[in-house]
Amino acid sequence: MEAGTALLRGFLPSDPRRLRLRLRLRLLRRRPSPSFPRSVRASSSPPGQYRGPQPKRDLIADWVPNNDGLVRSLPIYVGGASLLAVLFNRTVSGIAPVADASSSQSRADLLTLGIAVTNILAGLVWLSIRPKSVSAVEPLGAECRRIRSDLPESVVSELLWVWESLSTVTCCRSLAIIYDGHCIMQIGMGAKSSANDGQAEDVDANKLMQGSLYQGIINSRAQSYLANLSLYPGRSELPFLPTNTQAVILQPLGDKGIAVIGGDTIRGFTTSDQTWITYIGEKLDAALANYVDNNTLLMQERV
Amino acid sequence: MAADLLFGHAHLLLLRTGHSRRAPGSGARGPSLSQVLQPSNRCRWMSTKRTRSSSAVEDGSGRSHLSWKRTLRKQQGRGMSAIFTLNALIHPHLPPPFRAKRNTKRSRISARLGGDPETTGDERQLNLSVLRFTFGIPGFDESYLPRWIGYGFGSLLLLNHFVGSDLANITPAQLRTEVLGLSLAAFSIILPYLGKFLRGAGPVNQVTLPEGNEQLFVMSESLSDTLKENLAWATYVLLRNTNTIAALISVKGELCIRGYWRTPDDVSKARVLDWFEEQIQKIGLSDLKDTLYFTQSPDFGFRELLPNGTRSLLVQPLLQASDQEVYEMGRNEGFIVLVSSMSYAYSDKDRAWIKAVANKFMGWSHVENRC
Repeated sequence: MEAGTALLRGFLPSDPRRLRLRLRLRLLRRRPSPSFPRSVRASSSPPGQYRGPQPKRDLIADWVPNNDGLVRSLPIYVGGASLLAVLFNRTVSGIAPVADASSSQSRADLLTLGIAVTNILAGLVWLSIRPKSVSAVEPLGAECRRIRSDLPESVVSELLWVWESLSTVTCCRSLAIIYDGHCIMQIGMGAKSSANDGQAEDVDANKLMQGSLYQGIINSRAQSYLANLSLYPGRSELPFLPTNTQAVILQPLGDKGIAVIGGDTIRGFTTSDQTWITYIGEKLDAALANYVDNNTLLMQERV
Repeated sequence: MAADLLFGHAHLLLLRTGHSRRAPGSGARGPSLSQVLQPSNRCRWMSTKRTRSSSAVEDGSGRSHLSWKRTLRKQQGRGMSAIFTLNALIHPHLPPPFRAKRNTKRSRISARLGGDPETTGDERQLNLSVLRFTFGIPGFDESYLPRWIGYGFGSLLLLNHFVGSDLANITPAQLRTEVLGLSLAAFSIILPYLGKFLRGAGPVNQVTLPEGNEQLFVMSESLSDTLKENLAWATYVLLRNTNTIAALISVKGELCIRGYWRTPDDVSKARVLDWFEEQIQKIGLSDLKDTLYFTQSPDFGFRELLPNGTRSLLVQPLLQASDQEVYEMGRNEGFIVLVSSMSYAYSDKDRAWIKAVANKFMGWSHVENRC
């Protein structure tokens, strides 16, 4: 979603002097008329409407992350090549390759070798901190989209917004929200249930609430991130998630509910994802509690 | 409900700092994470320090300087409290083989090899094997070492050329070596700059608050309560979770402004909103259709609106993509302006989250009673 446009270098033929004097300063304030389209954006906004500057395309910032492997090993190659070049230079010019500081040639060689070694070491450090890429595992199960029908539209839109954000930004593929003893929403991929003939399995809110996972979360009131679900024995308490869900975040919603967020990559939720989910959980709790307060009578009747 | 909490007790507006420092949270002056979950304090994102309209600027600039420094330190503690509990919960779930695979290779070479605590935070998002060279001097960033070595050895090479050698009889071999050495030095100098862009680059710099700005939290009066609460939550979350020092959200012409802004002194407190609207009109942000991300200081046109010390700027318009007429007319439903004092402040993930928050406000007029 970046607007990577080239810096506008629109020239107005009528004002060459001013441009020469204050080329940099005034340049961005003068938008070209429609007959001089300088922007490389795809959109066709009528010029003159948005009068602010456009960002420059930052080549290095775009290129480096995309060629991560190459850039990381680059210093090693550069350093190694120059090391060999120094030795080669010495042999070719007939000077004995002796590492002493007696002649200016030797000193220059030593300094160059020093920088070459620094580069090699820097390259090694970069290679050693390369993040390991883990691939996503497609969850096995059935799609579902179940929201309680008696919720007001505001709450429903809030819940749907949470699902849209999580599924777009993070590796979340399943979401289940349990509040006040009922499963309010189950959306995304769910485990295939044998009873329901291929549909996703229902969330048994009561069973979940009696389990140790839920109790632990509610007592500690803190988010729990199970980065690699297959190693966690409490996996059996979440039967509604697809069997090959890789990571799960359990976010408490106040002290009455929990959001179960399933992802398709091991350690797929970053730290910033976790803090965002915490804040979203608070917001959701405020929204749901508001609704529950207004409808306690109704809930009691239902139970 | 929203109105009372808007100018509530003096809860400091907190800014996100990097994951780096792990100072334990010192005495809480505001609601901590656990307090949040109590019903009475549910909407803690509404309360903030009294805005300029109701109270004067803090007692003396010295004090306010201290107060936000304390804020930052406390924020580290509080922000980290979530991470602490996460830490506590995550490790037991991992069996020994994983732990061994991660925390190996703490061998020693010449200087001290650090497993600096910063990496453990990063480990959760990247898999770092900690072979890190460090002198162990606090505040000394080793990733810039190639740059200093480049400068140092490069100048020594020049010194050798002019002082240490017989200028009349320089051999071509020496010239070749020197050229090679100088170009290598130049490469070393730009190495840290390249390294900044690699995935998983080192700990984020702390967000610094530049001088000359004042904290602000104003909203247009004509907003509905639910919209007010949503705006307050959105600005709060953006300020805390990203490297933002100032946020401005405009939805259908109504503004919500929060953070550290710089308004001219002659603008009275009541007219702050009008002043902002004027500035926005001048730039024409209502007609923006693309997301703008300035990674380094934005150029002229924005100077008056933005606070001191702006380095990065992100402007995210709220567009209904399906509404073709609106698109061609060149208007948007609103926009979010985020200002940061660091360059390259918003990573891809940050921007994705900001877009998700912006989605919340799209199509607001269609739904009457949101919460």
